[in-house]
Amino acid sequence: MSINLLHRHVLEDYISGFETDPNPNHVAVSRRPVIFSVLAHRGQETAVAEALGSAHGVVLRFCSPSEWLLVSRTAGPATVAGILSDIAGASFADQSDGRVLMTISGPSVRNILGKCVAVDLHPEVFAEDYSANMLFCHVAANVARSGPDTFEIIVPRSLAGSAFEELLEMGREHALTRGFSD
Amino acid sequence: MASLITCPHCGARPKEEFSVRGAAMPARPSPMAKDEAWHAYVYIRDNPKGRYQEYWHHAAGCRRWLVVDRDNLTHDVFGVTDAADFVQARGIE
Repeated sequence: MSINLLHRHVLEDYISGFETDPNPNHVAVSRRPVIFSVLAHRGQETAVAEALGSAHGVVLRFCSPSEWLLVSRTAGPATVAGILSDIAGASFADQSDGRVLMTISGPSVRNILGKCVAVDLHPEVFAEDYSANMLFCHVAANVARSGPDTFEIIVPRSLAGSAFEELLEMGREHALTRGFSD
Repeated sequence: MASLITCPHCGARPKEEFSVRGAAMPARPSPMAKDEAWHAYVYIRDNPKGRYQEYWHHAAGCRRWLVVDRDNLTHDVFGVTDAADFVQARGIE
């Protein structure tokens, strides 16, 4: 899959505005994701990880052996807080307003992310549903693979503008488009 | 400086994700220890050439303190352990 940019003038986007129709390579930003940060108390790490893994309607993102992010696009914050308060030995905080969730997908996604992170994203190393904290465009972010060509990136709110601009810049040669997902 | 550090929790990561604190071997004296012991711990440090154990903080990753066993001459990394495990392995002093 290659997108021919030769017929486009280099200043096309600057003069007539950036494209808003999604191209094959697209970044979708969630307007209102539900993101909770969860910390396990000392000695409770395994029990909390197991309890979180069996929770329904939420996706678990690994940060460290005793820290996770819980993401949901369907359940409301009250529901997620209810799930978490039932887990013994865990402390949690609603980070929905403090984090930004971006989903990048497309055939060139690994080429684009290869310029943003210094971590091997080959499917044999970074498999589906795998997630980790890493430096993403000079910002400490959580990167997860949610599909063969789909990655979800969670960045702190105050650095989201910088990371987003750099991501678009890196995706420019692959005609990366952006938009809200909802 | 070694450019790739294999974090026990996150895997191989570039050194830019870490911040280095300093030597891991000197044991912290007890709060009631004599001034001489604290002076030695705070100010009198070796500057070895060769194999060296250092505290590294994985600031942009798992945010855990690690102990990196590396050679500051050849840049070889011999092992990376979580600082909690390192202290436990060293025993109560």
